[in-house]
Amino acid sequence: MLMCRDLARIASDYIDGELGTGKVMSVKMHLLMCGRCRSFIGSLRASIELMNAHSSQQLDEDLVRRIDERVSESLNARRSGNDTSDP
Amino acid sequence: METTTHQSDDDILITGLKSGNQGAFREAVRLYTPGMMAVARFYLDHASAEEIVQDCWVTVIDAVQTFEGRSGLKTWLHRIVANRAKNHLRKTKREVNADFSEALDPDLAARFAPNGRWATPPSLKTNESAQALMENGALSDCLDRHLSALPETQRSALMLYEAHQHKSDDVCNILDVSASNLRVLLHRARQKIFLMVETFQETGEC
Ligand SMILES: [Zn+2]
Repeated sequence: MLMCRDLARIASDYIDGELGTGKVMSVKMHLLMCGRCRSFIGSLRASIELMNAHSSQQLDEDLVRRIDERVSESLNARRSGNDTSDP
Repeated sequence: METTTHQSDDDILITGLKSGNQGAFREAVRLYTPGMMAVARFYLDHASAEEIVQDCWVTVIDAVQTFEGRSGLKTWLHRIVANRAKNHLRKTKREVNADFSEALDPDLAARFAPNGRWATPPSLKTNESAQALMENGALSDCLDRHLSALPETQRSALMLYEAHQHKSDDVCNILDVSASNLRVLLHRARQKIFLMVETFQETGEC
């Protein structure tokens, strides 16, 4: 018999569809009877959604600038290298 | 949700990169550096990760000539970073420290009674849409703080799986973890976010 704690342990697997059919059945059975776990699954889903709505990949402008500089240096070096070798 | 890059957009970008177009590189750097940092940070400290990602971009100038587009530009870039980071790790004789032993977050585990039922049930109200909640600037800041407080391994797994929409196989490959260990990292990270949002909703504090 699946307890609330067992369900909490595999909640992400359930949400992502990573459980086998037998396990899915026992989770669904549990959720039918347990409002607290229904609320937990709903909350975990909401948290995932929230995180995805939150554009969490802020760009480090300073790093981007340093990369741009190094890339354009290399590109220019290549270009001038081509110019001298190809008169 | 990340805006999905259409295949044709990627193709245009790749053509630009192959011809050494500076604008194409600028665009690609802006688009792909956050994901590449997430990969590098799984293996390395912040300073080394930045160094590796910078070096990767310089090698991409030549390497992109051999890019055949079988895996998609993002996955290809992430693999380059992963390989470099792994090499660096090997040279410095360090290892990735990650705890895969328990899928349940300790703070969440403490909320169950000995019989396995909820002792302190979840109180998060989920009637508001995520988008509406995110308009709350304080919550957004709080989320940032908690995301950066996550162990690097959990955060990288979360970023690659959610924000970058990689398939599980790709994440396992890039991060060199088994499928079951990836599940642990993802679940642990999500529980932390759940606990944070719950506390925030209850107390208004981060
Ligand atoms: Zn339950």
